[in-house]
Amino acid sequence: METDTMQLHKLVDEALPELDTMIGWAASYDPLRTTPIFIREAKSIPRLIWSPFCAQNLTGYLVKPPALKPADKHKRIGICVKGCDSRSLVALIQEKFVTRDRLRIFGIPCRGTVDWRQVMRQVPLSHVRSAKVEDNLLIVDDAGGTHKLNLEDVLARKCLRCRYPNPVVYDALIGEPTVSRITPEDIYRDVEALEKRPLEERLAFWQSELDRCMRCYACRNACPLCVCQERCIAETRDPKWLTQRMGIPEKFLFHFIHAIHLAGRCTECGECERVCPMEIPVALMKEKLNKIMEEMLGYVAGLDPTAIPPLLTFNPSETGI
Amino acid sequence: MAGKIFISIDRLTSTLEKLSAKIDLWIPASLQPDKRELTGFVPYHAGIVPILDRQSTLPPKKILLPQVETLLRFEYRKDPRNPLKGSVSLDDKTEVRPALVFGARPCDAKAFLTLDRVFTNGPYVDPYYLERRRNTLFATLVCRQADEACFCSSVGSGPADTEGSDFRVIPVDGGYVVDALTEKAQSLFNSLGDTPTQHQEAQARQVVEKTSQHRVGDLDLAGSTGAFRKRFEEDDYWQEMAAQCLSCGICTHVCPTCYCFTITDEIKNLHGERLRSWDSCMFYQYSLEASGHNPRPSKLNRYRNRVGHKFSYIPEKYDGLIGCCGCGRCIRSCPVSIDIRQIVGRLKENACESE
Amino acid sequence: MTDSNPYSTAATAEAAEQGLKILGFLCNWCSYGGADTAGVCRFRQPTDLRIVRIPCTGRMDPLFVAKSLIYGVDGVLVSGCHPKDCHYAVGNLHARRRLEVLKSFLSFMSIDARRFHYAWVSASEGQRWQQVVTEFSEQIHRLGPNLGVRKQPGENLKPLDGQKQITIPCPA
Repeated sequence: METDTMQLHKLVDEALPELDTMIGWAASYDPLRTTPIFIREAKSIPRLIWSPFCAQNLTGYLVKPPALKPADKHKRIGICVKGCDSRSLVALIQEKFVTRDRLRIFGIPCRGTVDWRQVMRQVPLSHVRSAKVEDNLLIVDDAGGTHKLNLEDVLARKCLRCRYPNPVVYDALIGEPTVSRITPEDIYRDVEALEKRPLEERLAFWQSELDRCMRCYACRNACPLCVCQERCIAETRDPKWLTQRMGIPEKFLFHFIHAIHLAGRCTECGECERVCPMEIPVALMKEKLNKIMEEMLGYVAGLDPTAIPPLLTFNPSETGI
Repeated sequence: MAGKIFISIDRLTSTLEKLSAKIDLWIPASLQPDKRELTGFVPYHAGIVPILDRQSTLPPKKILLPQVETLLRFEYRKDPRNPLKGSVSLDDKTEVRPALVFGARPCDAKAFLTLDRVFTNGPYVDPYYLERRRNTLFATLVCRQADEACFCSSVGSGPADTEGSDFRVIPVDGGYVVDALTEKAQSLFNSLGDTPTQHQEAQARQVVEKTSQHRVGDLDLAGSTGAFRKRFEEDDYWQEMAAQCLSCGICTHVCPTCYCFTITDEIKNLHGERLRSWDSCMFYQYSLEASGHNPRPSKLNRYRNRVGHKFSYIPEKYDGLIGCCGCGRCIRSCPVSIDIRQIVGRLKENACESE
Repeated sequence: MTDSNPYSTAATAEAAEQGLKILGFLCNWCSYGGADTAGVCRFRQPTDLRIVRIPCTGRMDPLFVAKSLIYGVDGVLVSGCHPKDCHYAVGNLHARRRLEVLKSFLSFMSIDARRFHYAWVSASEGQRWQQVVTEFSEQIHRLGPNLGVRKQPGENLKPLDGQKQITIPCPA
């Protein structure tokens, strides 16, 4: 990890003269979490880090208002991306929200990011002093002593099913390519587990999970593809899709709107599920839609910058539907 | 004064059960069976397990200010014998029942002081909030579970603070000593527990004293109000401090002192309701005007407003009351780990130099 | 009887007595014409279907179906021109993909996908229209009223009582 961070510093330092801004991760108040950093001067480069605590998908900053665009047309925006984040970039390029040649992409192969909530569930920590990952262990020091946890028990759910740990698009690669943790047959196992249950049980599951939803819209606002968040139909009064009532139907419909508008576009970066303050597995809905895309139309989002998302187009000679 | 009672740990559930028969009881509990650490205040029912060893993820704010509240119901009626005369029937009756919130923390109780000022002081009093406030009692824990995100002492409160509480619940060996603090609290806990022994009383006193001396958080807010005004126009500062913000709104939803709301009429055919629901100043739509103009178009404007509101405008308007209770929930729940303490603390940097 | 909450179980039971509510989205050119042809030929069909005319199935937002079923409409039927015969050339080709995706997704979200059906009926196919409507209505009757996704029963608002009646003359 440290060598990766040093390599990152070196490459960013070299690239900085041609960059308007460099977006990366820096340490936060909590050793288990990082915070995004926007670097414009060489003196801030030492704050950049790469570690399994770098969970945020930084690509959203390229498109969400105020979208980061170079003031000087000869300069670019530098950005760090993990495998999942790089697919978001491809999706943004596909839909022409960003131009590939205005970006300088530092791709980082990733073995998974730590979910601090999972850590707290294993061991209730207080005043964490330090945290690091060595091989397959998370080693945390807090007021109660040193704790060693299995990495797989504390990774985010999306990381356990990650098919693309290596960035699919990059200008420079930090570290060595790595292998996926999962076999292709198991990719949709969480979705399949839910599909196997009878309808009444599925209903009870969704009612129980979505009941906690506060319609805080964090999932939508964290999604790099939901660029119309300021005009979202879930909140407009004309046309009025949703009332302000906090009943189950309203919460269901909001999540339906969010998921359906991402059908064929979602690249499973997992931000929606990570940010949810009520820990609702919102990414499951998008995973199901992606499963349908793959099985029905043979399409996986975020891989080919020249592809068109399937629900934005059609094929006249399609059969079977 | 009813004085003190002692509730032992193994009698806690039965005591809460008896309490819930006398009054609507709210306790902190897990919001999902397999996620014990995800907690909020829920109405007590048989079988529920109170979680009193940590601050709740969601504050008790919704008990006095529900996320959605019907202000009035209305219905248009037409008289077939007189088609030119229509009528509107209005119904604003709300049923407020006495309630007790057991297991809140000093930060939670202190937060309501800000809401009190906004909703009940001055010429326009909010009758919905006021009615709930008058009918709700708070039994607040003496808190010994501050973590690195807490800073209640910095905002005029503290882990043993009792302002805004009707009972103080003191953890001692084997249980809790409950101390009635206000007149209206007197009779509630009668016959629900034993009189504490001398030893328990002494221990309770010790716990309170020791906890009172513990300073939670080291943020120095002296002069922040002025420092904020000086840096208001400094766009670079707000860019540096809040560029990571996603405008997701989580901070405002988990904050005990955030009270911004919107009022909407939800109509179907000839009847409907006027609802008041939580809104968030972090959303673009919050300050969007009917003309299309938005005085806070950028997330930097909106984040600046959040800091200003809690640490500058409210103290100026309400005799130095800080509009933040130091619970740290916004810091813990923020997906990009923005730390509001850092942003407020650094207001005074450079502001001194420029003098 | 007035019920301030349009989605309460009492309102649903009332509706069930009157007949189930099936929403039909028909494209203006083919299917609406087909339904008209069925009418002209006096073919008899169940009367639960309530038709909404859209210019083309390409106008169909999957959310129309989703919102209807979430809030308790008993069935939704979408009908348009046959693929490659769209009045606007490609509208139904878009619709075909979207609606097929929706059908799979509904079930995952615990909404009975048998309550949603889409078909291609052209303007001259009156008999086929009668068949489609009859079969779908019978299916919905077999499935019974749709309770949507609400938790039963206590989640709904309490009915009005003790209203204050204020008479405000409406402007003429």
